[in-house]
Order: sequence, then structure tokens, then C-alpha cells
Amino acid sequence: MVRIDFNRLRFLLIDDNAHMRRILRTLLHGFGSREVYEAEDGAAGLEAFTHNIPDIVITDWAMPIFDGLELTQMIRQPGANANPFVPIIMLTGHSEKKRVMAARDCGVTEFLVKPISANALYQRILTVVVNPRPFIKTKTFFGPDRRRLVNPNYVGVERRKGSAKAEIIPQQALLERVKTTE
Amino acid sequence: MSPGRRDGTRKTGKSGGTKVTQFRDHAVIEPQNPLQKAWARQSIEGIGSDPVADAERALAALSGEFAGWMDSECERLDAARKAVRAKGFDAETRQALYHAGHDIKGQAATFGFPRAATAAASLCRLIERTPDARRIPVDLVDQHVDAVRAIVREHGTARADIVAEALSTRLREVTDEFLRAENGGLLPDEDEVLSPPTVPRPGAR
Repeated sequence: MVRIDFNRLRFLLIDDNAHMRRILRTLLHGFGSREVYEAEDGAAGLEAFTHNIPDIVITDWAMPIFDGLELTQMIRQPGANANPFVPIIMLTGHSEKKRVMAARDCGVTEFLVKPISANALYQRILTVVVNPRPFIKTKTFFGPDRRRLVNPNYVGVERRKGSAKAEIIPQQALLERVKTTE
Repeated sequence: MSPGRRDGTRKTGKSGGTKVTQFRDHAVIEPQNPLQKAWARQSIEGIGSDPVADAERALAALSGEFAGWMDSECERLDAARKAVRAKGFDAETRQALYHAGHDIKGQAATFGFPRAATAAASLCRLIERTPDARRIPVDLVDQHVDAVRAIVREHGTARADIVAEALSTRLREVTDEFLRAENGGLLPDEDEVLSPPTVPRPGAR
């Protein structure tokens, strides 16, 4: 079983709320981490990211100057900084599906809804350390693979060109599928 | 990059430990995992027996501060409400009120005031789902802010939970009624979901 030696990881916390930063720092120290940097807005976060080169970024969504999404987009600029592949965990009070999708489409690695728990945070960190997803680069997207699961029963259009044996997977009519299973 | 298949749709190469597979309209990039440096076996010295339990203990040790923090978040919410009362809703006052409510929605449960989070969530919903914030009745804002503050103030007293639940339920009903009226008789989509599952797969790399 893989465990994490938190002492070997450098974290950057970006949240405009000092109480939340204190809670996060406390949890990370509790896990065993010693190198935890903080920033209170997106601009300071980007500066701290460039200066400290963290292994993992934990950011809030709503922040002054520029928000967590904009920060993520800036970090995910290939060639613009030292580590565009850095895992970004978005910790936010937003829980709507459209928000989760928007964060994913900006290149966020993991999404964590407040209220925070030690276990949920640990699981997210464990995931990015042990099971990093490959990155996908297209004309309009650069970020962790948005496909977390391969569904063998998927029917529909294969939207990635050249990545499957057949680019169009024929859809079987629902009635035919029912007949087949009878 | 190494030569790809004859149809030119796929090329695989490695650069600096990063494997890149180029497809027709996208590339799959698999960087070396720099965080592998932090992989450890359970027996390694310096790693606690249960890091989650250690973190929970650390948070519990901090919990003496939470009531004071909750009070300061309530003061911030009250100040934002007063600004709305004084200036009306504009981009700045709307944002300040929403942000203050949003922080309470996200943090109150951690601070031990989950009922306050529910009332604050109703306020956020009211602001977020009203097409024109200037039409939000200030009295409805007051009712939300006062409810949050009352829930925090009365926390731990007899019947506090029952009163808090009744307050939150009523706020939700009144907010629903207002939102329906502002959105052509329909409630805006409620598509709240939990975070996507991220538990590591067995047999991790």
C-alpha cells in the first residue's frame, strides 16, 4: 500500500479567507507536511507559484484580482512557467454541476466541495500523488484528462479523432437493444 | 518523436521522461510523476500511523478558535448587509454580500455551526439566482443575515437546532417564492452535485 511522505511535498494554498488558510495549513501539518506556502488572491498566488514551485496547489474559486479559474488557466499555459502539469485541487463552496464542469474544463485536477474534511482532502492529495492522469492537449484545452473512466458500454460519437479504432461508434436503436437482451 | 502509423494519426515519442502520443486532433501527454518522490511505505519513520486521524486531532486542537472566527464572519456579513442597505445593490455591494455569505456557507460546518451554513446558502442562492439583484427586497436580505447571526448566537442553547431548522426552512420557502416570481414562474435549475469520485484505483502505479 502506498502512503504519502508529506514531508517531501511542497504545498501552495491560495484562499482570500485567512480562517480557511489556517484550517488548511493545520490539516496539512497534521498530515506531516512542513512546507506550506500561502497567498490571499489569484495574483499573489501566481507570484508564489512561480517563486516557490510547489508540488501541489490548493486554491479557492472566488478570490479578488483574479479567481481560481483564471489562475488555473494561467498555470496551464504550456511553456509559460516551470510546471504547467502541477496538480491543482480546487476547494470551494460551489457544488453545482456546471461549476464542477467549468473547473474541469479550465484544467483543475481535483474538485473538493466545502465544508472540508481531513479525509476528503487526504483522498484528493493521495489521488494526485499516486494516480496522476495523463494530460490532453488540443487546440482549446490543456489539462488533466477529463475522462476519468472508460465505459465499455458507451455508444455514441467518439469525439477524439484518431484515438479509437472506429471514430464513430454506431448507436444501436433502443428497441434493438431491448430485443437483444431479451 | 518516433515515426507513427502509416495513416499518420498517431505518433509516440519521449522527451525528458515525458511520453507524448500525438493523435490527429489531440496529444496525450504523460509526464514522469515528480510526486513519486513522496511515495512511502507504511513503515517509514516519521509517517504517522494514520495521517487523517493526526490531521483531525490537529484541527480539534484549533477548534477553540472557531467560535471567535464564526463571530468575525458574522460581523463581515453584517457589514456587507449594511452596505447594501446604505447604497443598494451594485456590483460591489452585491459581490461583498455574496462573498461573505459564501464563506459562511463553506466554513460554518467546519466551525461547528452547520445550521448557519444552511441559512447562508439560502442567501447565496437568492443573490446568485436573481437575474437583477436590484430587485431583491432588502428586508429579505435582512431576514437571512439576522437568521445567520441568531443561529450562531443561540448555538448550543435549548431548542436552538429546532428554531434554526424552522428559520432555514422558512427562508428557503420565501426565497423560492421570490425566485419563481423573478424567473417567469420557474425555479432556476438546481443541479447541485457532490464532487466527482476520486478515490484511487486499486493497484495504483
